Formats: sequence, C-alpha cells, structure tokens
Amino acid sequence: MIEESEFTGSSTLGDGDRVVLTFPARGDLVVLARLVASAISTRVGFDIEELEDLRLAVGELCLLALQGSDARHGDIRLEFTVSSAALDIACTLVGAVPATARRDADGDEADELSEQILAALVDEHGREQADGSVRAWLRKRRKEPLA
Amino acid sequence: MEQEFHIEERTDRGRPVIAPVGEIDVATAPQLREALHEVIAQGNATVVLDLLGVTFLDSTALGVLVGGLKRCRELGGELHVVVTDPRIKKIFEITGLNKVFPIVDALSEVAAP
Repeated sequence: MIEESEFTGSSTLGDGDRVVLTFPARGDLVVLARLVASAISTRVGFDIEELEDLRLAVGELCLLALQGSDARHGDIRLEFTVSSAALDIACTLVGAVPATARRDADGDEADELSEQILAALVDEHGREQADGSVRAWLRKRRKEPLA
Repeated sequence: MEQEFHIEERTDRGRPVIAPVGEIDVATAPQLREALHEVIAQGNATVVLDLLGVTFLDSTALGVLVGGLKRCRELGGELHVVVTDPRIKKIFEITGLNKVFPIVDALSEVAAP
C-alpha cells in the first residue's frame, strides 16, 4: 500500500540568500543566465512550471537590458535575491555604449514580444537607465511564502 | 545533453519545410532568419516551419517568425507552424501569436497545397 504523503521539499536557498553571475554581454552566453535561473528555481522551491517560466523570463530580462545598446564591450550582471515571499532578479548591463546601427524590423517586433512574455510570466518587471548602465528587473512571487 | 542547434530542410508534398532543432534564442535566431529568407527568396510563398525538434524559444525567435510570416503573406502565401510541446505552445499563447499563425500538431495536418 502506498500512503499518500505531502512532499515538503528542502530549500537549499532561503530568505536573504543572493547569487550573482557576471558574464560578457554576448547573445550566445545568455544561455548561462537560463541555466542559473533553473538551478536557483529548484533550490528555492518553485515547481517545474514556475522553473520553465523563470528560465524564459530571465532570458527576456537580459534582452530587455541589452535593448538599444551595442553590448560588444559590456558585461551582464545578474543578481538573484531570495526572500520569503519572492525571487527577485536584477539584470544590469554595464560598460556598453548606445547602438549606432539601425535595428531590423524583427528586432522591434521582438522587443514588444519580450514585454508581453515578461508581463505574462512574472508578477512585476521594469527597466531603468542611470549612470551609464541599464538595469532590468523582475519579481516572481511564491505561491506560498517560506515558513 | 542539449542537442546543438541546427536547421534541417526538406519538402513535404512539394512544399518547403524548415525544421530547426534545439534552442532558438538571441544567439541562434539569426540562422533561422537566414534559412527562412533564403527559402522565401527562392519563390516559395508558403513555407512550413516544423518546431517539433525545438526545446526552447524566446522573443527573438518569435520576432523572426513574425518577419517570415509577413514576407510569406506579402507574396500571397502562408507560414504554417507545426508544434506540440506545451512549453512552446504556451509562448505562442501568451503573446497572442497562436491566433496569428496557422498552428497544427503534425506535418500531415498542414492543408494540402
């Protein structure tokens, strides 16, 4: 007989924990952001659907930070902050310069789609520009706060 | 182990089929754009995009698909999308593109030319 049980899981990242990842702002390295987002999602207790949402969202966050910049000489700094209520992710593009080349129409379309995807997958998101760097951020709330 | 991104091309009932395999993101989407443009430039107004081998898709990839769809329709054709993975379908749904693209579950379901 199999007894019904409730899996409580064991969060290996808890309230106040922070993970920082910095890598050159190259498109082929955005996969690193997705990999780390997946690893962190499982360690803070998100389910598989939330993990998939965050994997997609963090890639979009990187794209949002890269918008309008020539990132060839810049770095992307991702900061994951765990709290009892949510996972916050901030993506900062540092050291890049404004793009001079005109973007193609596909790129403009992708920017709008990126906004739509983030709006659907996370609870809050935004983009700010200050002191020569661009910062995009998102918040994904837990279904149930950590005890 | 994640399969390296590549694009397979074939024909189905005389219609060109582009089948990317792997993850389509900001790094690989340009390859898909090039493949689509090339097939359309050869005079194919209707193209089938087989996404059955795709494991991830982001907004850059969707932008390429929308661009391809516009080109096909300008020529009086269509860009059919074949997809079954619920994660990929979800991205079409949250962006509303499931109402823009003709999406089917199997190549055999694409309307005959």
